[in-house]
Amino acid sequence: MANDEQTAAAETSAVAFVGRSKIDWTGYAFVAAFAVPFLLFNVAPVLFGIYVGFTDWAIIGEPNWIGLDNYREALHDTWFKQAFVNVLLYALLVVPGVVVLGLSFALFVNRSWPLSGLARTILFTPNVVSATVIGLVWVWVLDTQFGLLNHYLGWFGIGPIPWLTSANWSLIGVSIASIWWDLGLGFVLFLAALQDVPKDLYEAASIDGAGFIRQQFAITLPHIRPTISMVVTLQIISTMRIFSQVYVMTNGGPAGSSASVIFTIYQSAIVRNMLGYASACSVLLFLAVLAVTLLQRLVLREVAHA
Amino acid sequence: MCFVLAWAGPFLWMVSTSFKLPSQVMTRDIEWIPRTFTLQNYVAVLKYPIATWALNSIIAATIATGLCIAASALAGYALARLRFPGRKLIFMIFLASLMIPPEIGVVPLLIGMIRMDWASTYQGLILPTVANVLGVYIFRQFFLTFPRELEEAAIVDGAGPLRIFWSIALPLARSPAIAATVIVFTLNWNNFLWPLLITFDEDMKTLPVGIAAFAPVVGTHTQMEGYAVAMAAVTLLCIPSVALFLLLQRYFIAGLSAGGLKG
Repeated sequence: MANDEQTAAAETSAVAFVGRSKIDWTGYAFVAAFAVPFLLFNVAPVLFGIYVGFTDWAIIGEPNWIGLDNYREALHDTWFKQAFVNVLLYALLVVPGVVVLGLSFALFVNRSWPLSGLARTILFTPNVVSATVIGLVWVWVLDTQFGLLNHYLGWFGIGPIPWLTSANWSLIGVSIASIWWDLGLGFVLFLAALQDVPKDLYEAASIDGAGFIRQQFAITLPHIRPTISMVVTLQIISTMRIFSQVYVMTNGGPAGSSASVIFTIYQSAIVRNMLGYASACSVLLFLAVLAVTLLQRLVLREVAHA
Repeated sequence: MCFVLAWAGPFLWMVSTSFKLPSQVMTRDIEWIPRTFTLQNYVAVLKYPIATWALNSIIAATIATGLCIAASALAGYALARLRFPGRKLIFMIFLASLMIPPEIGVVPLLIGMIRMDWASTYQGLILPTVANVLGVYIFRQFFLTFPRELEEAAIVDGAGPLRIFWSIALPLARSPAIAATVIVFTLNWNNFLWPLLITFDEDMKTLPVGIAAFAPVVGTHTQMEGYAVAMAAVTLLCIPSVALFLLLQRYFIAGLSAGGLKG
C-alpha cells in the first residue's frame, strides 16, 4: 500500500510540474499509438461479439436478430452444460492445487537459503513454455502403460490409471498438467508476499513457544491474505478459460469428459459454423467467471472476518 | 527439495526421450539416461516444415512485441507524465479490459480478418496481438517514479514532449523495457488460440500450432512417429523461451510480480 501512496505522490508532483503551462495535447497522440490497435482489435471485436450473440450469423450471409434464442439453446445444450460443469470442476481442482502447492513451495524456498535460487528457477520454468509443450510432455508422462507417473505410482501399488483415455480420469489428467504449468506465477507472488512479512513477529512468536505450523496460521496467513485472494482470482479466471491444454491433450474427450467451455465455443464456431451461438456462449462464460470471482472474493472476506 | 526436483521431472524426461532410439522409448523400467544417444529424432522432425513454422513464429513474435513495446512506452509515458483531460479514465479502461475474456471478440475478429482477406497472413496473425495492456502498465508504473528534475532542465531548454521522451525518458527506461519485452515476447511466442484460428495454410502456422499436430489426439504426425520425435519437436519449441527466461529471470519475475498480471 506504501507503493500506492508513492505512486499518488509522484502523480500529483508530475501533474503540478507539467501542469504549470497548459494541456499537453501531445499526450493524446502518444496514447493513440496504443489506443488505436487496442480499440480496433481488442474492444471493437468484443462489442461486436456481444451483438453477434443475439443473431443467427453463420459465416455466409447477414446476421438476423433472434433475441435470446442462442442463450436459450445454450442452456438446453447437453454438450455446453457438460462443458460448464467441467470448467467448474477444473477450477475446483486446479485453483486449490496451485494455491496450496504454490504456498507450500514458497514457504519452503523462503526458509532455506542455499538452493532457493535453483528451486525458484525450476518451479517457474514451466510457466514460460507454450501449451503445446505442456500438452505433449504430459500426454507422454501420463501414458497409461509406459508413462512416468504410473510407473512411480506403481511403486505404491497404485494403478495403472488410464489418465487420458478414460472418461472418469481425463479431467483429472488435464488438471495435473495445468497445475504444473500454472504454479510458477502463484509461487512467485507468494514468495514476494512472504518476504514482506516482518521477521520480528516470528521471533516474538517462537519466544512465546509457538511452533512452525502455529506461526504460519497465526502470522503468515493473515499477512498474505490479499496475495492469496489475488492468486485465487487470477487462477479462477485463467482456469475457467482453459482451452489449449484440452485441445492438445484430449481434444475434449473421451466423450466430452474433458471439454471446456472455450473448447465447445471453438467447435461451434469453427467446426459447426454457428457464430451467433458461439458468441452467446462466450458471453455466458464471461458472466460465469465474473460471478465465481465475486463469490470467491465475498467468501474469502467472510472467512477473514470470522 | 525432493518435490522441487520432481517438478523438473517432466522436462528431464522430455529431453531424455528426445535422444532415445524410438525402439527404446517404451520400456518396462524407466530409463532416465538413454541406452543409445541418437539425434535421429531431431532429423525426423526436420522432415516437417519446422523451419517455416519457426520463421513464422520469429517474425510474428518479434514484430508484435516490437510494436507493443513502442506503443506501450509512448502511452505509458503520456499516462504517467503528461497532463491532459481523461488520462486517468483512459488508464482505467485499459486495466478494466483485462477483466473481459478476449474469447468474446475472437469469432468476430476472425470473420473480419477473413472478409479482409487477411486470414493466413502476417498482418492477420500479428495485429490483434499488439495491444497488450501489460506493457502500458509496466511503463506507466516506471515513469510515475521517474525523477522530474531530469525533465525540468529540458523543458527550460524548450524541448517538446517528444524530444524529452526520446532523449531523456526512454534511455533511462531500460529495465522496464527489458521486463516488458521478455514477458510480452514469451506470451506472443507461446500464443496458441489466435494462431490456431487464423492460419489455414500449413505454411503460415506458428511453431506451437504446427507442433501441436504431433499430439496423438490432434494430428497424425505422432501416430506415425511416436513419442521420441514428438519430444524432440517440443524440446526445440521450448528452447527460445526457456533460454530467455534463464538469462533474464530477474526481469521476468520483477515484471510479473509488479502487477500480478499476466496475459
